[in-house]
Amino acid sequence: MRRRWDIFCAVVDNFGDIGICWRLAQQLADERAADVRLWVDDLAAFARLNPAVSVADDRQQIGLVEVRHWSRDRFDPHVEVPDVVIEAFACELPPTYVEAMSCRQLAPVWINLEYLSAEEWVEGCHQLASPRPQSSLSKYFFFPGFTPQTGGLLRERELLSQRAAFDDHAASEFWTRLGIEPRRDGELRVSLFCYENIALEPLLKVWQSGSEAITVFATSGFATQQCARLLDHPLEPGTKLQQGSLTIYALPFLTQPDYDRLLWSCDVNFVRGEDSFVRAQWAQLPFIWQPYPQSEETHLTKLEAFLERYLQSAAAESPSLGAAISQCWQAWNGRGDIAAAWLEFSNQLPLVERHQMAWVSQLDRLGDLSNNLADFVEQIERRRLVTHHSSAL
Amino acid sequence: MSIRLAGDLRSGNVMMVNNEPMQVVKAVYNKSGRNAAVVKVKAKQLLTGRVTENVYKADEKFEIVMLEKKDCTYSYSDGNNYVFVDGEYNQYEIPCEDMADQARWLCEGMTDVCEVTFYNETPIGVEFPQTIVREIAYTEPAARGDTSGKVTKSAILKDSKYEIQVSAFVEIGDKIEIDTVTGEFKKRCT
Repeated sequence: MRRRWDIFCAVVDNFGDIGICWRLAQQLADERAADVRLWVDDLAAFARLNPAVSVADDRQQIGLVEVRHWSRDRFDPHVEVPDVVIEAFACELPPTYVEAMSCRQLAPVWINLEYLSAEEWVEGCHQLASPRPQSSLSKYFFFPGFTPQTGGLLRERELLSQRAAFDDHAASEFWTRLGIEPRRDGELRVSLFCYENIALEPLLKVWQSGSEAITVFATSGFATQQCARLLDHPLEPGTKLQQGSLTIYALPFLTQPDYDRLLWSCDVNFVRGEDSFVRAQWAQLPFIWQPYPQSEETHLTKLEAFLERYLQSAAAESPSLGAAISQCWQAWNGRGDIAAAWLEFSNQLPLVERHQMAWVSQLDRLGDLSNNLADFVEQIERRRLVTHHSSAL
Repeated sequence: MSIRLAGDLRSGNVMMVNNEPMQVVKAVYNKSGRNAAVVKVKAKQLLTGRVTENVYKADEKFEIVMLEKKDCTYSYSDGNNYVFVDGEYNQYEIPCEDMADQARWLCEGMTDVCEVTFYNETPIGVEFPQTIVREIAYTEPAARGDTSGKVTKSAILKDSKYEIQVSAFVEIGDKIEIDTVTGEFKKRCT
């Protein structure tokens, strides 16, 4: 059966929401032969991520996915409700659309796709129903995660083989296309994607004064802006700045496939939030994560929960590996001395990389979020069919 | 009727879900992402007794209902219903299947004051006092040796024929205290 899906995305800030929804939409269309409509409330944000998107068109076809512009308050009440409705990150659907859902002869499977977290409580909430207080509709919570009791992580079917095929030659072609000089012997290449971060200033100082040549690829936005401010030098996309051992390239805004290539081409990746955090894991290279900053330091709880899972096997690989990774990640998130932690971390890069490979093979066994989600939808439909038949008897 | 956010639900609250009263057994709050939160709610459907686990956004709104409660005593059973009587001799019938495990504490002539809960003027449940006293109808004699009270044996309660674990020293005809929440033997009455 070819299912029709609606995915609703509200762009709150940055590009994480639309980045994840776009990946999910493409994968469902491509790998599950689903008819997918992706509803986006901010086409301008989407167009930055994907230049094929036109900000002027409320309805357009991008590859296999139909893209629609939506607003909660002005929503066409005649839009036909499909078989499956995804509400990404509890974005709250238009009331007229919810009304139409309840009028449908067979209610659609309604999923709230949640945020990624390594915390234990997620397993207990994954796939639970959420009956609506005012109607007979029910939605289900679906949580990405790192264990078999969760939905896993987004990963396209071909991603790992594409990653494996990306060799030095491909990397060198990528650098050339971006107008970046070829890699020098002994040079360490680092990608930088972060939120406002107080640890960046001391880290830049360590990189400037170190004996090792470090090239930092600052992504468009916070990373470039902070580097420019801290180094007291303008940094326009495509420009380069050298101070001591540190060279900084300010990157233009990259598409998703190019951001993957950047991750695959560097030696260490600084990532943030959710989407780049997941992509860095599939890159199978050392990375350092800055979670989305939250009140009451909730992000630090999430950081610790991930580190606990991620480092479970580290002690068996090397006695000091876990501490080196943990201290560097903590320091990057404002807990500890980033200068000392970076030196310890960078001394252990080959071990970190080996650990990362083992972690990825563990993640790979979980399946992937899109297919796990599609399987769950089918499971609910089967369950409903059984209930429907038994009540008819 | 009042409105409460899922994040503020507490055990004992009765929330309306699709026109059905659900009594919260447990509500656990967790921060998810971007300062949002979710609440996992274990709740009992008051009309069917079914217990479910669901999850809600912490800012989801629910109507909260206040249930009427009356002190009553148990009177008799007509086979289909248990009949309770309040201080003004009004009778309330509760279907036997709705009493579930609570029926094990019922016995002829019991004087325990129970709390009958009403939803839309229909009695939907009974709460016993936390401690009740019941008589042992049958138990095997204690094996000699251990008198510490840690060794337990089975005993049958008078009237309900319910089987309970009691200390080895308890004998036929003894009156014992039972915790109705845990369903466990507390002590022998002196």
